[in-house]
Amino acid sequence: MARNRPLYALAVLALVLAGCSAPGSDKKSSGSTTGPIKIALVDAQSGQLSSLGAWELKGAKLAVSEWNAQGGINGRQIQLDVFDDQGDPTTGTNLARKIQSEGYLAMIGTAESAVTIAMAPTLKTAQIPNITSGQSPGLVAVGSEFLFLNGPTSTTYDETLAKYVVDQQGIKNIAMITNNGSYGKGEHDAFTKALAKRSVTPVADQVVTTDQKDFSAALTAIRQKSPKLIFLGAEEVESGLIVKQARDLGITAPFAGGAPQGTPVFLNTAGAQNVEGTIVSSPYLSNDISPASKKFADAYKAAYGEDAELHGAKAYDGAQIMLTALKNSNVATGKALADAIRATKYQGLLGDFAYDNTGVGIFATSIGKISNGKLVAATS
Amino acid sequence: MRPRVRLSLGFLFLLAAGLWFLPYGLSSYAIHVANVIIVFAVLAVGLGLCMGVGGQVNLAQVAFFGVGAYATAILTTHAGLGFWLSAAIAVAATAATGLLVATPALRVQSHYLGIVTLGLALAFTNWVTNAQIAGGAEGISNIPVPTLPGVDLSSEYLYYYLELIIFALALAFGLFVVRTALGRRMRAMRDDALAAGALGADVPVLRMTAFLLASVYGGIGGVLYAGLIRYVAPESFSIANMFLLLAMVIIGGRQSLVGCVAGAVGLYLVRELLVDHPTFAQMGYGSVVVLVVVFAPTGLAGLPPRIRQAIARRRGRGRETAAQLAEFRPYPDLSEISLEGGDPLLSIDGITKQFRGLKALDDVSLSVPAGQIRGIVGPNGSGKTTLFNVVSGLYRPTAGRVRFAGADVTSRPPYRLSRAGMSRTFQNLRLFGDLTVRENILVALDRSRTLSSWRYLIAPLAIVRRDRDLRRRADEVLDRYGLTAFAALPPESLPYGTQRRVEIARAVACRPTLLLLDEPAAGLNGDEVRKLGEMVRSIRDTGVTVVLIEHNMGLVMNLCERITVLAGGKVIAEGTPAAVAATPAVIEAYLGDSMDLPSEVTS
Repeated sequence: MARNRPLYALAVLALVLAGCSAPGSDKKSSGSTTGPIKIALVDAQSGQLSSLGAWELKGAKLAVSEWNAQGGINGRQIQLDVFDDQGDPTTGTNLARKIQSEGYLAMIGTAESAVTIAMAPTLKTAQIPNITSGQSPGLVAVGSEFLFLNGPTSTTYDETLAKYVVDQQGIKNIAMITNNGSYGKGEHDAFTKALAKRSVTPVADQVVTTDQKDFSAALTAIRQKSPKLIFLGAEEVESGLIVKQARDLGITAPFAGGAPQGTPVFLNTAGAQNVEGTIVSSPYLSNDISPASKKFADAYKAAYGEDAELHGAKAYDGAQIMLTALKNSNVATGKALADAIRATKYQGLLGDFAYDNTGVGIFATSIGKISNGKLVAATS
Repeated sequence: MRPRVRLSLGFLFLLAAGLWFLPYGLSSYAIHVANVIIVFAVLAVGLGLCMGVGGQVNLAQVAFFGVGAYATAILTTHAGLGFWLSAAIAVAATAATGLLVATPALRVQSHYLGIVTLGLALAFTNWVTNAQIAGGAEGISNIPVPTLPGVDLSSEYLYYYLELIIFALALAFGLFVVRTALGRRMRAMRDDALAAGALGADVPVLRMTAFLLASVYGGIGGVLYAGLIRYVAPESFSIANMFLLLAMVIIGGRQSLVGCVAGAVGLYLVRELLVDHPTFAQMGYGSVVVLVVVFAPTGLAGLPPRIRQAIARRRGRGRETAAQLAEFRPYPDLSEISLEGGDPLLSIDGITKQFRGLKALDDVSLSVPAGQIRGIVGPNGSGKTTLFNVVSGLYRPTAGRVRFAGADVTSRPPYRLSRAGMSRTFQNLRLFGDLTVRENILVALDRSRTLSSWRYLIAPLAIVRRDRDLRRRADEVLDRYGLTAFAALPPESLPYGTQRRVEIARAVACRPTLLLLDEPAAGLNGDEVRKLGEMVRSIRDTGVTVVLIEHNMGLVMNLCERITVLAGGKVIAEGTPAAVAATPAVIEAYLGDSMDLPSEVTS
C-alpha cells in the first residue's frame, strides 16, 4: 500500500483540480466564409419512418442541385449532408449536437415532429435555423425563433376540411373512424375540435388500432348511424382497407381526410371505384395541379425515376426557402439567417409562404376530391 | 490471488480516473453522446440482471425506462413538484410497474414471457400516445433542469458527473447482488428453476425480484433521461429501442453485468460512428448481432475466459488431471434415535396420480419413521419417481394426502417443503451448470428468504458477513465430501460419479430432516457404490431420515432397513429386505420385468 501513496496523492490532487475548473470550454465553430455552405438534412433513413425520410431527402436534394447547377450562392456550392435520426428523439438530440459541433449553418428536417421538438432546444441555443416537415402544433408550442415549418400545422388540415364540409357543403351528420397511433390520434383531436367550433358532434366516433386488419365492428357501428360523411384518420394502407371494407358492408357515404387519402397507395389499396368522391384536405393535391408542380414533378421523375408526392414537395419548398434566405442575407448565420427566413416571401408548390412569429409560413390547405380515380381540386 | 487483486484494483482506479477526466477532452456533441450512453448502460445493467442473471425474458425494459421518464416529466411539469421528489416517486412508480409486469412470469417462461412482456411494452407506448396527461404524440417538453446546490446541471459536462456517480453506484450494487446470495440464487433459478425450488429458492418471489431490479434500473435510467433530454415522446421508448437494448445485452454478454455495460457502450458508439452512413449502419449493426449470437453466445464478456482457456490448453493439459476426488469423511455419529420409536416423519396416505389415461400411482400409502433408511424398489415404470415428485411437491396428486413432520404438506410448492426440511436429488442429475461446484453448495446452504433481500439496501455489510459465513460452511461441506479440489470448476467438467456426489452433498447442505435420493447409485462403479452406502449411513447417523429409490439391489439389501416395493403404481410388498425378497408377488413382478432381483439377492 505504501508504494501506492504518491499515486493516491496525485489522484486527490487531480480531483481537487477537477473541482476547481469545470470542463466544457467549447469553442464555437462558426460557419466559415469560404468553401461550401454546409446544410444538414436530418431525417429517418432507417427504421419504420425511413420512407418519409427518403422522400424528404429527394425533395431537398432536388432543390439543392438546382441551385448548385446555377452556381450556388455567392459563388459557393451548397453541401447537403444526410444524418439518420432513425425516427428516434434521443438520436435526434445527438445529431443536434453533432451538426452544431461540425459547423453546419442550417438544418432541413425532420419529418417527425417528436424528433424535431427534441432537437429544438439544442438548435435554439446553438442558433441553427431549422426548417422542419413536421406539422404538429407542438412544434409551434416550443416557441423557438429558429424553428420553421415547411407546411401548415395539422390543425390547418382539419380546420380547412371542416370549413369545407360543414360551412360550405352543410354536412352535419358526420361519423369518425381514426386509429390510436400518433397520426390518427392527432387527426382525431384536431377534427373533433374543428367540429366542436361549429357545434357539430360526430354521430359515431370509432377508434381502431394501427395494426388492425378487420374493421367490421367499427364500420357496422357507423353504418347504424347512416352518416352523410365519414372522417378518416389513418395512414395510407389502413385507410385503404377501411374504405374497401366499408363498401363491402354497403356503406355508400363518402370519406374525408388528410393527405394520406390523396395518395396512390390509398387509391390502389381501396380500389379506384371505392374511393370515388373522397374529400381530401392537403396542401399539395397532385403533381399536375399547377404549372409549378408539373415542372417539379418532371424534374423529380427525371432525377429519381419515380413520381413526386407531398413529402418531397414540402421538403423541396423548405429547401428553396432556406436557400433563398441564405442568398438574400448574403449567407448569414444564426439569428440573422433566422430573420432572413422569416422575411422570405416565397411562392412554392404548397402555396404562398409568408412566415409569422410562430414559425408557420402557410395557413391553408387545398380541398381535393377523387373523381374518376384522380385527385382534382374541389369546386365549392 | 494477491497480485491479481492489486492489478485489477489498479486497473479500476485508472478507469475511474479516465472516466472522471473524460469530459475535458470531449466536444459538446461527444459529451452528449456520452451522457446518453450512460443512460443506456444503466438500462442494460438492469436488463442484464433480469435476463442474464435471473433468466427472465424481459422485453418491457424500454417500458420501465419510459415509465421512469414520463413519471418524472408529468410530475415536474403538470404537478409542479421538484425534480428530485418527482424522481423518487418516478422510481417508485416504475418499481410498482415492474411488479405488475412480473406477474405473468409466475405462470409463463422463456419465449412466452417474451411475448407477454413485449405486449406490455407496446401497450405502454400506445397508452402514452393516446393519453392526455402524457401529452399524446407530441410528448412533454420543458422538463425543468434538475437542481443541485452549487452545480449547474444544465451544463451537460456537469450532468455527466451526476450520471457517472449514479451509474457507478448502480453497477456496483448490481455486481454486489450478483456475487452474493441473491444473485447466486437467481443464477441457480436461471439454470434450473425446478432444482432451485427443490433447494429452497422461493422461485415466485425470486422472479418478482428479478423484474423489480430491472424496473428500478429502468426507472433510474428514465429519470436520468428526463433530466438530460428534458423532453419525452412515445418514440423514445419504441420497440426499436427495446431491441437496441436487447442487442447491447446480447453482444456484451448477458451473464456479465460488465459485459452488458461494454455492449451498451460499444454498440452505441458504433451506431453513432455510422450515423452518417445509414445503409452501412443497418448492415453492420445486423451482422454484428448475428455474428455474436452464432460465434460468441456468451458475448464480449465471454471472450476473455475462452481465450484464457485456449491458452491453457495450448500450454499443456497436465494441470487438468490434478484435481482428485478425496475420501468422504463420515459425520460424527449423533444418532440416539431408536429405529422403531417415534412418530412417522413422512406418511403418505392413499396417493393417486393420474396422467390423463395413465394411472401412475394407485392408492399408494406408506409411512417412514424418523431415522430410518427406506428403500423403494420396483420395475421400471412402477411409479417410484412419480411418488418422489408428489412427495417433494413437483406434482399435485389426484387424490390422497402427504404428511411430513406432523403437518399436511400435500401440494405445497417444493421451496416450502425444502424449508420444512425435505431435500432431494434427481435421477438425471440437476446440478446448476453455470455455477461452480462451490456455488452449487452455497445455493443449498443459503436458507434465507428472498423477501429479506431488502437488507441489500440498508445493511449491505450484514450481507457480506453472512456470505463470508456461508463460504466458510461451504468449504467445510466440500472438505467433508472430498470435493475441495473441484470447488471452482463447473460441474459438467467432473466425472459422472463425482457429479453424483456433488448432488448428494448439495442436498445434505440444505440441512434436511428427510433426504430423498433418486437412484443415487446409477452409473457408479462397484467401489463408488460401496462408498455411497457408507456415505448414506453416515448421513443417517446425523439424524436424517433417508428414502431412496434404487435399482442396485446389492446396495438396497445392504443399506435399507425396510423396503417398499412398487409395481404398476401399487405397493405390492413392504418389510425387511429379507422378508420382501421372499414375497412371491415381488418375485413375480421382477421376473416379469427382469431377472435382476433373484440373482442379486442370492449373490
